[in-house]
Amino acid sequence: MNQYLIMCRSLTYAQRAERVLARKGISAVIIKAPQCLLTNGCGYAISLHRELDRAVLILKNNKLLRGKIYKKEENGEYKEIVA
Amino acid sequence: MIYLDNAATTLIKPPTVPAAVSRAIKTMASPGRGAHRPAMAAANEVFNCREEAAELFNVEEPERVVFTMNATHALNIAIKSMAHKGSKVLISGFEHNSVVRPLKAIGADVIVGGTELFNPEGLLRDFERKISGAELVVCTHVSNAFGYILPIYEVAELCRENSAPLIVDASQSAGILPVDMKKLGAAFIGMPGHKGLLGPQGTGILLCGEKGRTLMEGGSGSDSISEYMPEYLPDRMEAGTHNVCGIAGLRAGIKFVKEKGTENILKHEKNLLRIMKKNLAGTDYELFSGDDDCQCGVISVRSPKMDCESLAQELYKRDICVRSGLHCAPLAHKSAGTIETGTVRFSFSPFTSQEQIVKCCKVLRGIV
Repeated sequence: MNQYLIMCRSLTYAQRAERVLARKGISAVIIKAPQCLLTNGCGYAISLHRELDRAVLILKNNKLLRGKIYKKEENGEYKEIVA
Repeated sequence: MIYLDNAATTLIKPPTVPAAVSRAIKTMASPGRGAHRPAMAAANEVFNCREEAAELFNVEEPERVVFTMNATHALNIAIKSMAHKGSKVLISGFEHNSVVRPLKAIGADVIVGGTELFNPEGLLRDFERKISGAELVVCTHVSNAFGYILPIYEVAELCRENSAPLIVDASQSAGILPVDMKKLGAAFIGMPGHKGLLGPQGTGILLCGEKGRTLMEGGSGSDSISEYMPEYLPDRMEAGTHNVCGIAGLRAGIKFVKEKGTENILKHEKNLLRIMKKNLAGTDYELFSGDDDCQCGVISVRSPKMDCESLAQELYKRDICVRSGLHCAPLAHKSAGTIETGTVRFSFSPFTSQEQIVKCCKVLRGIV
């Protein structure tokens, strides 16, 4: 199953993003972002397995897309996706 | 016991408030410091409270709701973000020391306007005369000493016309009167959690129209590699671990206020005020009261026969809890002409009953 990470600049933004997506029927969970994807020390991301395009659109419309998006590859590495 | 010191702290809380505090202390850890269950439970509680407060105060983005220790903490952040030494700052004649002292501490040039008690039109006229050149206006929504409702929405309009940023002290109005961030267009609104919002002591809220300056720096759980606080809200203003238990209780208090409706709470408190005025009419007590639409559930009283501290002591002996003296608002007492004597203040809550007010008045009549 695919795993996508949408990076969030703070926990509060991650919470807002998660709630907005939940209201639109998209299930996402908040996780601590992997250190290898961070440049600022600590951060949060929302993780989802499906409907990435719709999720991105919803977050854009709500001005909540502020961070990069990654897909977790089979080898465990993260590949940036340009939305 | 009859508790009539709700303008200091509401003692009687909805049962959901201590229940929420108890649940939080047993199950919640530090928000934003991990993604394990107790940390996320805390994070969710804090965020839920942000959302509840944002809805109650019409704040578009929940991150603009910042949690503080109390209203004084919130107002200090606000004032020290907007004013500096020599800033011309217009304030009302009914400000609390939590406004006056920070302004004096930074050396602001403070101008006082609107000093006549229960005269909102007079306040607006005086503000119109004095606002020119003001770099900041700080105005309380309700006087903590007298219950005087200041015309805050008209003050906000005047500030917009004169391009002066506004800080609102909503310490006595939050949870009782409509406090609308969008309508006020304020730079900041500060309030306690432990009064009209019925939360625990040690909680406060700062609604941020501006980003603001930090009063305290430290861990925020974000941008940890930086030696500086994050630029974004709420992280910028919330250094250190949150008062999660307090915030959980505050959320329960806010939910109660929303369910009950501020209009009903205000109606109840105004009714108690009328009962008190009626029951003390014809006595020697001097009641500081205004028109029905410019006073909420707080009333100051003075006796010509007994100083305010002695009167309060007599009430304490009969298990009636009030507040006497200057109420940390010497400016308000100076404006009202009560600086030499102080007053005894009676303040109500949604849990104060008509019977309690009638009994209190009976006791007061017996004392003199």
